[in-house]
Amino acid sequence: MDLYLVGYIMCMWLSSSRVLGGYPIWWSLALGQQYTSLGSQPILCGSIPGLVPKQLRFCRNYIEIMPSVAEGVKLGIQECQHQFRGRRWNCTTIKDNLAIFGPVLDKATRESAFVHAIASAGVAFAVTRSCAEGTSTMCGCDSHHKGPPGEGWKWGGCSEDAEFGVLVSREFADARENRPDARSAMNRHNNEAGRMTILENMHLRCKCHGLSGSCEVKTCWWAQPDFRLLGDYLKDKYDSASEMVVEKHRESRGWVETLRAKYAFFKHPTERDLVYYEGSPNFCEPNPETGSFGTRDRVCNVSSHGIEGCDLLCCGRGHNTRTEKRKEKCHCIFHWCCYVSCQECVRVYDVHTCK
Amino acid sequence: MAGAIIENMSTKKLVIVGVILLLFQAFSFMVGGLIAPSPTTAIHYMATKCVDNVKSHYMSKKWFMPWGPNHCDKVRDFDEATAKKIEANNIVFAVHIPMPNKEMSPWFQFMLVILQFDIAFKMYNQIEDGAVVTVDVGLAYRDDSLGEWTEMAHSIEQRKLSCNFTTPKTIDNEGRYYECDLMPLMELGCVFHKYYLLNIRLPVSDHKKVNRGIGEIKDIRLVGIHQNGGFTKVWFAMKTFLTPSILIIMIWYWRRITMMSRPPVLLEKVIFALGISMTFINIPVEWFSVGFEWTWMLLFGDIRQGIFYAMLLSFWIIFCGEHLMDQMERNRFSVYWKQVGPIVFGSFCLFIFDMCERGVQLTNPFYSIWASDVGTELAMAFIIVAGICACLYFLFLCFMVFQVFRNISGKRTSLPAMTKARRLHYEGLIFRFKFLMLVTLACAAMTVIFFIISQVNEGHWHWGDYTVQVNSAFFTGIYGMWNLYVFALMFLYAPSHKRYGDEQSSGDQVGNSGEDIQLTTTITHVDGPTEVYKMMRKEAQE
Repeated sequence: MDLYLVGYIMCMWLSSSRVLGGYPIWWSLALGQQYTSLGSQPILCGSIPGLVPKQLRFCRNYIEIMPSVAEGVKLGIQECQHQFRGRRWNCTTIKDNLAIFGPVLDKATRESAFVHAIASAGVAFAVTRSCAEGTSTMCGCDSHHKGPPGEGWKWGGCSEDAEFGVLVSREFADARENRPDARSAMNRHNNEAGRMTILENMHLRCKCHGLSGSCEVKTCWWAQPDFRLLGDYLKDKYDSASEMVVEKHRESRGWVETLRAKYAFFKHPTERDLVYYEGSPNFCEPNPETGSFGTRDRVCNVSSHGIEGCDLLCCGRGHNTRTEKRKEKCHCIFHWCCYVSCQECVRVYDVHTCK
Repeated sequence: MAGAIIENMSTKKLVIVGVILLLFQAFSFMVGGLIAPSPTTAIHYMATKCVDNVKSHYMSKKWFMPWGPNHCDKVRDFDEATAKKIEANNIVFAVHIPMPNKEMSPWFQFMLVILQFDIAFKMYNQIEDGAVVTVDVGLAYRDDSLGEWTEMAHSIEQRKLSCNFTTPKTIDNEGRYYECDLMPLMELGCVFHKYYLLNIRLPVSDHKKVNRGIGEIKDIRLVGIHQNGGFTKVWFAMKTFLTPSILIIMIWYWRRITMMSRPPVLLEKVIFALGISMTFINIPVEWFSVGFEWTWMLLFGDIRQGIFYAMLLSFWIIFCGEHLMDQMERNRFSVYWKQVGPIVFGSFCLFIFDMCERGVQLTNPFYSIWASDVGTELAMAFIIVAGICACLYFLFLCFMVFQVFRNISGKRTSLPAMTKARRLHYEGLIFRFKFLMLVTLACAAMTVIFFIISQVNEGHWHWGDYTVQVNSAFFTGIYGMWNLYVFALMFLYAPSHKRYGDEQSSGDQVGNSGEDIQLTTTITHVDGPTEVYKMMRKEAQE
């Protein structure tokens, strides 16, 4: 009887982990205000939902990096929402749910690919940034050099560009993607593609400082790009993502699923390309199963023929138009930071929403 | 027989000397490429936004630490600041140099800090044309990680924003960053302390129109550049090794000249002066910068380099002039004023420019001549004048080299008419003269090529497990090369010891023999006829 109970619990646990298996619950870090804001009490690793043991260990060892990890996911989600602002699926997050995107990402779709890539890029980006702020003592380069700590820095200095951030992202975001199934392989690939984007887009800046400021001595360093550029780049990758098929192999540790390009006549996806193996729902009608919210009442652009135009966004259902008076700030004088002096104007707008 | 060593040396010995010098040359490249780290390091700093809660912030001498036990109250971004109703004047950008768990060292020699703004594009808050940012910046140091900060410098500086926005300025592109040029913020000629702290404010004042129209600054980034300690050590070691070598050959050279019965000629004096200026660069006074806070070391280094370059350029002109082989009597410095004038004037311009930039930085490390319009024009004027001088100089030099070669080939045509012994000797002399010209050209070409490589390359090459630091190899290699050049010059152009000083006969050389071939260098002018010349006379007597 006890054995049955254990077996039952095991089954429950397995099935629940199966349901949440494709889903990085820890992304909810991004929505919890307490994780990213500065100066608040330190993060309790145990309170972060959905961490696998390896992540938990990471969190406890590198607790000072965790706010930047949270910040990075937040950055990724904001960028996702910017990139998809006019589309049928607009990267909506749901409050009060551990799976912050809802069930949309349960399927191995393009959207999943993009979100994984941008989130892992965001983590790498934010960690690199916070290293530059000096908030963490971990980011350093003493480990790369031999000899007593501190001496390496005095001998040869160190330029920790983005490697550390990428390393953290790889350790943390990929920690849970170690199952032998296809979804894990896809997530691993897309996470890596997101991080590669950063390394790809680093740009070189140089400064001359030789005799009388001549270029006799020139020092160069790699600078991180604006995160918006990474978003643009990944959006392109989303549009050109490669569809894959799942292949099963029998290996010594059991069945292993791998991905293979579906169309042999297309170029094989490189490690910088996004991959997916399931088709996306059309996101036109609300569907709790696919996680689609539908496009009803979404604001559309009547003059555009693109995806944000009323024809496409409303899936042919047509749109309502209403005029709206809005009080707006105008004739503003901007002061750097934190203070704008404006007048108030009333403007009339035509607002188009999908039926 | 009198004359320079190069004239009396057999080809075999010359080759041996050349090979030894080449070995040293290869060694100096290897020291930089394999032992030394890259010459400089750049480190990124992202300024932390601290909140100054004291109202009268100009009175407070508080320093804001971005991290550590006494770190300041931070805000993550300005939306948070707006929500908390914090004014711009109460936001302090704090940067601690270096990163946590590290410390600076006097071996870093210098530190310069570059300022970069992250400015987001906003449709209704764009950067105005010719916008100027006013920064109120303070620098403090401490040598104990828990001690009090001591102010080093404080200044209110202006920097011109030159930013462009590459994508169309539409509402869709709001939030993208402008691409802004790097701005120099600070230059320290000596990194004597362990920890430095920069506090930057962007004061806003409406009626003075300070910091208006500068767009939406999201972040301040700094890049700190300093020389690597390892490179400094290798460099010092090299200087310490080279100083006695050049000094010894210089003393040897001058002893030889004074042992002669004639006074030294111009070319000898110039070579000696070149040796002195090389020694002046070599003397490793930088060792003192490890123990003393001498901020003028950077300026002093510039001056020493400038003197050497001016000397080297003058030497080339005089070397060519003294080998012109026309009948004109030179051997006086005043003959060369036309050619040396531009060098002196150009170096003087650069010196003034350097004094304006690095000289002023001795008192205010935040000063930059490029920050103001007048300063920029002035600096450009100095640099353009120096550039014109350089062009003028190279025109003169090329013309003179052309003349020398034309004269040599002119003499060559009459070579077949001579006897065999004389002809062989002539050819040898011309060969050796050309050899030195070629060495000079090769050195100059090497410098240029390596310079280009180090500019184009990203700094290091990997060969298997070895990392070759190309930039360090460039510095040590080229430095070693010019040292060897000066060394070789003093060695090869020293008067030969084969019976010097005992022939004072028949000093005049104009048309003494029937043949009008004279390959005279001033080294032998006064001392008497050259070996060749004497041979010619002997033959005439026969």
